[in-house]
Amino acid sequence: MKLEMGYIHISDIEFSSESKIENGKLYVSTDALKALVLEDEKLKDVSFDIARPGESVRITPVKDVIEPRVKVEGKGGVFPGIISKVDTVGSGKTYALKGMAVVTAGKIVGFQEGVIDMTGPGADYTPFSKLINLVMVCEPVDEIEPHEYEKAVRIAGFKAAAYIGELAKSLTPDETKVYETETIKEGMAKYPDLPRVAYVHMLQSQGLLHDTYVYGVDAKQILPTMLNPTECMDGAIVSGNCVSACDKNPTYVHQNNPVVHDLLEEHGKTINFVCHIVTNENVYLADKQRSSDWTAKLCKMLDLDGVIVSQEGFGNPDTDLIMNCKKIEAEGIKTVIITDEYAGRDGKSQSLADADAAADAVVTAGNANQVVVLPKLDKVIGTLDYITKIAGASENTLREDGSLEVEIQVITGATNEVGFTTLSAR
Amino acid sequence: MVKEIERAGLPVVHICTVTPISMTVGANRIVPAIAIPHPLGNPALNHEEEKKLRRKLVEKALRALTTEVEDQTIFED
Repeated sequence: MKLEMGYIHISDIEFSSESKIENGKLYVSTDALKALVLEDEKLKDVSFDIARPGESVRITPVKDVIEPRVKVEGKGGVFPGIISKVDTVGSGKTYALKGMAVVTAGKIVGFQEGVIDMTGPGADYTPFSKLINLVMVCEPVDEIEPHEYEKAVRIAGFKAAAYIGELAKSLTPDETKVYETETIKEGMAKYPDLPRVAYVHMLQSQGLLHDTYVYGVDAKQILPTMLNPTECMDGAIVSGNCVSACDKNPTYVHQNNPVVHDLLEEHGKTINFVCHIVTNENVYLADKQRSSDWTAKLCKMLDLDGVIVSQEGFGNPDTDLIMNCKKIEAEGIKTVIITDEYAGRDGKSQSLADADAAADAVVTAGNANQVVVLPKLDKVIGTLDYITKIAGASENTLREDGSLEVEIQVITGATNEVGFTTLSAR
Repeated sequence: MVKEIERAGLPVVHICTVTPISMTVGANRIVPAIAIPHPLGNPALNHEEEKKLRRKLVEKALRALTTEVEDQTIFED
């Protein structure tokens, strides 16, 4: 499958009476966007704001981050099975607006949303501080259940991102990149001497607002399956997550998954990137056993030499991670796992809830319990009402001078387990 | 906690959903629970059925507590 990605760089965003993109600047009609968002009868109101890199702005509670994209040629539309009809995506031509994102915010479950600081030490921990963010704060109708509100905000974000993406459809991209992988037989013939590598991508699916969707299917209900590596670039996988902010994968990360992109970069050079396998992280032990059996079976059937496994979230998904690793290794296939750590504020506790000797190649995205002090910023988009309740904060979080003492767990994307992060070690 | 109580000389049954973690941390008597968000119940059942399920779990745990074990054991049934 072959996909041409056209990148259009956005240098600024401005509210305007007409929505358009001109000379790299996005003009957005909030009236048009508001009408689109309020089509959903579960939402009462929506407000928009713009947060630019370096500004003294804190966005919280952050639910999702989405990159506007548009399908220009080829089958299907962005976010298939969600806002476009079900069709296999990942081929033809797609444009992406680089340097910006749509950020959805609002209270939802409160304690499991994140923080994006646009300046200061907090900004260093989140990759999304480097983007110009169009923030939507959605207000639900009265007496709505949290899961209905989550769904309404989730869909509103995709609709807004698709609406903005559509404005780029007739533009000429600043940059073009072609991604192509072969079928199994073609790949074998073309690269007979290269190691066969796949990506096992674990999707958060613990339920109770901890969900991910694949072509519109709740990932709790999938059996592990295969995708072409380019499918995720058209929004085949989206976040429906309200979990700890530091290591959940917002939709933006699924669209720009660095493991997929890096493997594609090496495809045909040092490896043969065979496919992208998605699996889940369910709350029943039988599901964990079945799904890890299946990932190992698929890896064996594909005659792989190596696999990269990435986790999403922490705690009991550590077991899914270790089960995947152990069972794939038992098939004689080398694995590298990517995870993060909850090693306590002093870093001295056990990092993962589960472990095995087979997990002998591990990449860590950092210790989520590490404490930072975030200075008071001039403006808050959203609300600070929940700041002491977000996972990684405490009742002592808000200090007298208005600064926040928190674990980096509260920061959206701080220890992202597909490596979409700015943390590194010397 | 399981290990510390056993160290003090009292046998412990660990009722938990993710039994592999219980094995990793070294519990000796393990009884599988229902699911992570509801280890000792099942909201999909009606009250009467759920009560039966809960009683069964407790009885199984008590049985496990009085069973001699040589090694780490998961009491499946």
